[in-house]
Amino acid sequence: MSLMNIELILLTVLPVLIAVFMCFSTNFNRHSRNFIAVMGVGIELALVISLFVLNFEAVKNSNFFLQYTLGYTDTPFVINLAMDNLSLFFSLIVTSAIFLIVIFSTQYITAKENIYFALFFLVLASIQGSILTADLFTLYLFIEAITIFTTPLISFEKTEETTRAAMQYLFYGITGGVFFFISMILIYFNLGTLKMAAVAESFALISTPMQLTIIIFFLLALIIKLGIFPIHFWLPRAHSACPAPISALLSGVLLKVYLYIFMRLFWTMIAFDFLVELHLSDFVLNLALVSSLIGHVFALQADDLKKMLAYSSIGHIGMILAVLLLNTEAAFYGGLLHITAHLMMKSGLFLSSGYLLQTTLSHNINDLRGIGHTNRLVFAAFIIICLGTIGMPPLIGFVSKWYVLLAFLKARHFFGAFVAAAGSIIALIYYLRYISHAYETVKEDGKSIKEELLSLKGFFSSTNKMKSVIYIFTILIIIFGLGFKILEMPINTAIFELLNPEKYIELVLGG
Amino acid sequence: MLTNLIFIILFMLGFYALIMKTNLIKNVIGLNLMEAAIFFWVISFSDIGGEVSIHKFGETMGKFNDPVPQALTLTGIVIGASTAALLLTLIIELNKFSGTIDRDQIEELND
Repeated sequence: MSLMNIELILLTVLPVLIAVFMCFSTNFNRHSRNFIAVMGVGIELALVISLFVLNFEAVKNSNFFLQYTLGYTDTPFVINLAMDNLSLFFSLIVTSAIFLIVIFSTQYITAKENIYFALFFLVLASIQGSILTADLFTLYLFIEAITIFTTPLISFEKTEETTRAAMQYLFYGITGGVFFFISMILIYFNLGTLKMAAVAESFALISTPMQLTIIIFFLLALIIKLGIFPIHFWLPRAHSACPAPISALLSGVLLKVYLYIFMRLFWTMIAFDFLVELHLSDFVLNLALVSSLIGHVFALQADDLKKMLAYSSIGHIGMILAVLLLNTEAAFYGGLLHITAHLMMKSGLFLSSGYLLQTTLSHNINDLRGIGHTNRLVFAAFIIICLGTIGMPPLIGFVSKWYVLLAFLKARHFFGAFVAAAGSIIALIYYLRYISHAYETVKEDGKSIKEELLSLKGFFSSTNKMKSVIYIFTILIIIFGLGFKILEMPINTAIFELLNPEKYIELVLGG
Repeated sequence: MLTNLIFIILFMLGFYALIMKTNLIKNVIGLNLMEAAIFFWVISFSDIGGEVSIHKFGETMGKFNDPVPQALTLTGIVIGASTAALLLTLIIELNKFSGTIDRDQIEELND
């Protein structure tokens, strides 16, 4: 057991410790509390990056694997944390996004910060746990923990709207959790184990009707959590009611974590062939595509900026799920690239919408009037990120959408290609509607872009943090758009894990 | 067989209360009924008529009941209790704002 294996447990334990500390930090002044929050998530990010850098050769050759076992190793029921290339990739992108979101919220949240940060770090711990865990029961616990800890964050500003949204979110989340529990318990009664790797080895031994039941309940649970079409209406409400950093966390980060769990369950644990054999993959693929189309169309009629962004999230998540279900190498490449792109773009959009409309309580389209003249540079960043989401050439959104489209065309799935292209066009319309509203009045009371650029000298001074985070997201979108080849190596190693689940199974059971 | 029947009746009753009833507290009861049905089924299914699975020194264990489903159920009960508490808190908050705990009336007030 080397130091690196202990880092795995640190990744989940450290946020919990900080959360406990935050809970009792009522007497701290704002500055030191913010410092501890940023330091905590910074250490977290440093841990993940150090795992990536120190094992660079192993990651490159796709034989990177770490695991940590809690308790006695000789019993069959132990809590097992394991990290392979796929989990490393997700851990990396998720932690980086959360780092920026925490910096943003240090300035955005002005009341009850101790409760806010306590809950936020508990969510972070659950996210890391659900990415790293290697057995089903711990996964269930972490998924439930994510749902329970995000609910008070959604109703953080106590109004009727947010309370309603939080309650609906919790009802659906728990129902999804119940379905997950049923599947889990069926697996236990059939195979006598809850280790994902051990389940993967012997899943073929279960009778076909039971396999169908297990897979259907897992699919139901994840469809509810991902907000795919028949059960999507809780998502726009929950994602638009909460404070801006939490919207970014839910829409940008959490949906990706559920996508990771989807991959872990249906590629590593239950081999994808079973889904194809039971004729479920085609059904879910088409469902996801319909969901994508519906999300984009509903975004057209939303008169609320954050609701529009949430509906657009439904559109993108449906498309990513559909492209992953094609089960080809090109599809995985497009899907994982779009996961990264959507993570950056949606977080950036929600954060900038939170900054632009921080003085108004509602996010109605009429509140945007004239905002393009008062906050020129931030709004320019907002427009760039919007263009990225639509898929304009030099930005990452274009690259990822291009590969998604290519994957659909290679698989001869023309409905998918149509949805991916139509989504972009519809997105162009609804983003333009908001952008044109922002420039409607011709008032020249704001600073010019040149003046705003000059005032950026204190890039990380305490009054500029929110703006800086938005600019960082914008710059990242441009940089990764130009040099998306940087992402090629980690994505390809993650695809290797999806195509060869035997390696993960063997290593988890062996160690 | 009887346990399966009871499980299905309880689960469907809970599901009915969750979907069809408009009173939010009844919805919470329905959700808890669903969970209770599953826990009941898990416990009865894992009971094979053996001993309690506590290892005693110096004695050889005969047939014993599997302790893992019981552990899972205990954890599930804890999660169920905490979510029920959270849901009821939110319903109380909602009642303060809108003066009702009826799902449809709350929707109507806001649209």
